[in-house]
Amino acid sequence: MSFTHLHVSSAFSAHYGVSWPDELAEAAAAYGADALACTDRDGLYGAVKHIKACLAAGLDPIIGVDLAVRGGPGRDAGRVVILAHGGNRGQGYRALCRLVSDAHDGTGPESPGGGRGSRQARPQRTRGPIIGLDRLAVRAAGTEDADGMAALTVLLGPYSDVGKALHGRRYAEARRLAAHWRTVLPAGTLVVEAVSHLSPPGENLSTAHAVRMLKLARDLGLPAVLTNAVRYCQEDGAATADVLDSARALTALSRLSDLQPNGQGWLKDADRMRALAREIVRTAGWGHREASTLLAATEALADRCRLDPYRDMGYRRPVVPEASVIGISGNPDTELAQRCEAGVGARFPGTAGRAGRELRDRLDHELAIITRLGFASYFLTVAEVARMITGMGIRVSARGSGASSLVNYLLYISHVNPLDHGLIFERFLSRDRSTLPDIDIDVESARRHHVYHRIFERFGPQRVTLMSMQNGYRARGAVRDAGLALGMEDEDISAIAKQLWRFSARSFREALAEKPELRDISGQVEQDRQLDLLVDLTERLDRLPRHISMHPCGVILGDKSLLDRTPVQPSRLGLPMSQFDKHDMDPMGMLKLDVLGVRMQSSMAYALEEIVRIHRGKAAVTAAGNHPADQAGNGPSYIRPDGRIDLDAVPLDDQATFELIRSTHTLGCFQIESPGQRELVGKMAPRNFNDLIIDISLFRPGPMKSDMVRPFLEHRHGWAPEHYPHPDLKPVLQETHGVTVFHEQVLRTFDVFTGCGPAKADELRRLLGSGEAEAGVAEYFRTRSAERGYPAETIETVWGTLQAFGSFGFCKAHGAAFAVPTYQSAWLKAHHPEAFLAGLWEHDPGMYPRRLLVAEARRMGIPILPLDINHSKDTYRVERVPGTAAAPEKLGIRLSLAGIYGLSAAELRRIVAGQPYDSIADLRARAKVSRPTLKRLAQLGAFDELALSNGPAALAGRADLVHHLDLMDGTGRSLPQRYRPIEGQLALPLGDLELRNLTPVFPEPSLADKVRTELDLLAVDASAHLMDSYAPLLRELGTTPARDLLGLRNGTEVLVAGIRVATQTPPMRGGRRVVFISIDDGTGCVDCTFFHEAQEQAGPLLFGTRLLLIRGTTRRTGPRGISLQALAAWNLADTASLPVPPAGAVEAPLPAGSGLPACAQGHSPEPGAPESHVGGPQAQRIRS
Amino acid sequence: MGVFSESVEVACSPAGQPVRLVWGNRSYRIVAEPVRWYQRRSWWVEEQRAELGRGAGLVDHEIWRVQIQQGGRSQVRTLDLSRQGNPGRWRLIKVHDAIQSLSA
Repeated sequence: MSFTHLHVSSAFSAHYGVSWPDELAEAAAAYGADALACTDRDGLYGAVKHIKACLAAGLDPIIGVDLAVRGGPGRDAGRVVILAHGGNRGQGYRALCRLVSDAHDGTGPESPGGGRGSRQARPQRTRGPIIGLDRLAVRAAGTEDADGMAALTVLLGPYSDVGKALHGRRYAEARRLAAHWRTVLPAGTLVVEAVSHLSPPGENLSTAHAVRMLKLARDLGLPAVLTNAVRYCQEDGAATADVLDSARALTALSRLSDLQPNGQGWLKDADRMRALAREIVRTAGWGHREASTLLAATEALADRCRLDPYRDMGYRRPVVPEASVIGISGNPDTELAQRCEAGVGARFPGTAGRAGRELRDRLDHELAIITRLGFASYFLTVAEVARMITGMGIRVSARGSGASSLVNYLLYISHVNPLDHGLIFERFLSRDRSTLPDIDIDVESARRHHVYHRIFERFGPQRVTLMSMQNGYRARGAVRDAGLALGMEDEDISAIAKQLWRFSARSFREALAEKPELRDISGQVEQDRQLDLLVDLTERLDRLPRHISMHPCGVILGDKSLLDRTPVQPSRLGLPMSQFDKHDMDPMGMLKLDVLGVRMQSSMAYALEEIVRIHRGKAAVTAAGNHPADQAGNGPSYIRPDGRIDLDAVPLDDQATFELIRSTHTLGCFQIESPGQRELVGKMAPRNFNDLIIDISLFRPGPMKSDMVRPFLEHRHGWAPEHYPHPDLKPVLQETHGVTVFHEQVLRTFDVFTGCGPAKADELRRLLGSGEAEAGVAEYFRTRSAERGYPAETIETVWGTLQAFGSFGFCKAHGAAFAVPTYQSAWLKAHHPEAFLAGLWEHDPGMYPRRLLVAEARRMGIPILPLDINHSKDTYRVERVPGTAAAPEKLGIRLSLAGIYGLSAAELRRIVAGQPYDSIADLRARAKVSRPTLKRLAQLGAFDELALSNGPAALAGRADLVHHLDLMDGTGRSLPQRYRPIEGQLALPLGDLELRNLTPVFPEPSLADKVRTELDLLAVDASAHLMDSYAPLLRELGTTPARDLLGLRNGTEVLVAGIRVATQTPPMRGGRRVVFISIDDGTGCVDCTFFHEAQEQAGPLLFGTRLLLIRGTTRRTGPRGISLQALAAWNLADTASLPVPPAGAVEAPLPAGSGLPACAQGHSPEPGAPESHVGGPQAQRIRS
Repeated sequence: MGVFSESVEVACSPAGQPVRLVWGNRSYRIVAEPVRWYQRRSWWVEEQRAELGRGAGLVDHEIWRVQIQQGGRSQVRTLDLSRQGNPGRWRLIKVHDAIQSLSA
């Protein structure tokens, strides 16, 4: 008989467990166990991973939870482990899920079900999850239909109130408490848990402690079991557990009072556990038989708790909402077919002949597969959600492989016609795939939460929950907590943590050796012993889960049994959130819908509103946007009579849009604004929508790493002849000039050579790059191709390509789905730049700080209208700037009050509600703004125009007003009640006496001062570009403005200077890191590439410094593209260090630090997520 | 606990329990059931490194408290021994002045 561990915390017990479920399962299997429990703290966070690991290791899984219990009002009963009974058609697992949800009820900042609007009313309540003993008793009893069989077993162990009392040798108290547990819990659901970590006599978890537990069990006639309260797989994990204890308590190890007594909480093998049982029993003075009894009771409980994942948990059985909920009564297959028919009529009016037959064949093919898999309800559900969102007037578009499906197109889930772009259904769903496919829906980020709430309303709270995600330690967090554990000073830790990004904690030591920017720290490590330990502990914490949070987009939809299958806890939205993450969805048969909030969709929606508002009417929009009009002067059909543009109906072949893209002035455009992408569009010069799909697909880690881009460009521009390994592949590879870019091409290649069909081809593709399985694919490919008569040499060539590119090529459907908003944003920028930029400023969708997009407006000649107390609103608005004799009327963008530092939402609302104001007193009286806000408004010039309107008498300037407001200390406060004007009393029309009576003393602030203030208070340099104040210095240094670079010869050595706007370290071929730094000097962006040598030279400047002077040589990248290969870099603000020290006659420019927004340091993609480094789709920030 | 540490030779039963030891060139018999526990260490103060994969012995060490007697009639003394590794090196870490009885 082996030994079964019934009390095991996995790494998913945040800040507690150390080992991953698969490590634990493998270790258990290795010592001969046939079952293993996973009892994470406070939830079932690791449960599904544990099931998977157990199935892989050939173990029966046991699932439980380690929960705090409330014994009665205000009485803490300590922690116990609660196990689910198995083999009862899910009764045990279901009771456990509900129990865990009960324990979390009311733990969030607001209680679930509190709904919107309750946030302000309800006091913030944060307490840990805890279950009342009475509630526990109810759940343990199981439901009536369980034939009176108990559902759960409670392990009363050393961390319970009983266990603690026995640790303190308070025998009478322990007896009384244990009797209470026994009275309240149903018969047969309580056992005593003995644990000995062989700690010193008298300490917690000593053998003596275990003996007392056993004796109590005997006295009360309760069964007793043995566990090892496991927190780590092997002894090695004990130190990690110490550090986690320290992090959990936010206390240094040396000051931590409840450290584990020693390091014996590991997954000991059966021999050791049996010996332990004998040792405890011997210490108790009992005979061998008692040890056998203890071990047998443990195994008996284990047997009772073995779960059948399939029968008890519905493992791998997809569940979708009931047909009645999505409003159908008949057969879902018939319903789906009917709705697709309706879609054919709407999407393809009048399609006949060959195209009609193709359409028909494709539809029949897709429907047959969907019917066969029984997924019709799934498609109808997703269609229902898409319909609901569109009905809310929210912009929505499908992304991902869902675009491969004609059914999705016909149901208006996606907006790309798969037949136009050669998208293969099997890439999305095939008859061999039994898991639900992913359909991702992009919505406006600003309205995403409304969408969530509506989904809950529509399907009912018992069928919907948000998905969660695990947040693990990354380098910075790990080094902070490791430093905390060692008791290091805060500043020291911060100094180190700040330098850590872009690599995982696990490679800390390696990084110290290699990375030039870490040189200083590396020196310290050599000298300081504690830093050496810090590195080790940081590596130990790497990737361990810290907490769960709401996934940015996942919503789980199920039938009314959903909450029996997943425990939930409150999210910060107040809506319930599952304890399962995306990896748990397929195993648990859960339908996950990705509803992504995309800021670009919000920005575009905002721009469309502004266009309607400012132009009013179709004719004006047509003229302003330079849209094609017919001979009668009517604008295009995608502009409605009221001037609203139907963006999804805009044809995808607008030349002005492609010209804009080719110009590389694509800042702000979805997907193609990063430095790397601007270089690529410059080289590639896209001419049509398919080019755009290819561009987006090429700009990913795989293609970049494997050198697909260069041959593609050479063939595209005809510099090198296209090459096809076999004429049969020409139709497959023609669109990418012989280079394999898309998954779809890999699938077709397989199909052409082996005749395997698309479903099998996708299966083969998925196996590429997976070691052993790939060998099987190779064998199959070679044999089948040879049988079909392809020459051996060709087969090898083609296999080489498949092998190299297949695993990380890109799904063309993804590219096509992304290309739509890319095109739409470029279209808006080309035709309505003012409204488009206003939308970008408003919703901040991209990778750059807002100030760069303000600079872009300046570059494009769009007036940036200053803050004004009467004209600025709470949004960035397009405004007409009246023409003069010299210049025609223009559109400008008015800065928003919302951007002012320290302005409260309430103040903002009051200011906007009360506009216009005729004096500062008026503003003070009606909008009740605070004095700091009043001063900031004055500093930013929001009263400049008010002062002018008070006539020439008001000679005093901005500085005088600010000074005046400073002096008014006290008098500016609100008047005593009796002096306050009575509501409705009219103010005397005196104008602004305050402004008029100011004595002009101070000079108007200089432009540089104004810019400095703007950066401080708005994080935007609006009046002029920050670099303007550096003009004299730059003249002396002889720098070249960004706009002049294009005119230079390739390889010219130049100096450039500017503010850092982006820093990226994309993965590179050959493994050597390359750092891209983009700086903005007011005339445009300069993208600088730092190779190894230049990185060495730049050292600490590489990531921290904001204002840079860079020497480099120009590198022409395309007809409109030029970049710089950096040779050296300096901190522009550190004038003494500059290569040509200024003569001293130069006026001191703005200091580097002041007011620059933190994000000017550059967008820092999360380390460990290589996709994001190249500015692929993930690099476009997708946030709430 | 005394910090001096002295190497001792210990002979164990097949179950791994000490039965005899040699200390200072004299041989002793272990006369009572020894008590064993794992004693925590302040490793973050005492150690230079705590790298992953270092294995057992970082966070705690194994202590055996034994009562020894030389011959049949001499004084019974209590020693604390530390074992590193299994089977491993034994070090004497404490000599108790008088017999202490340890009860559970």
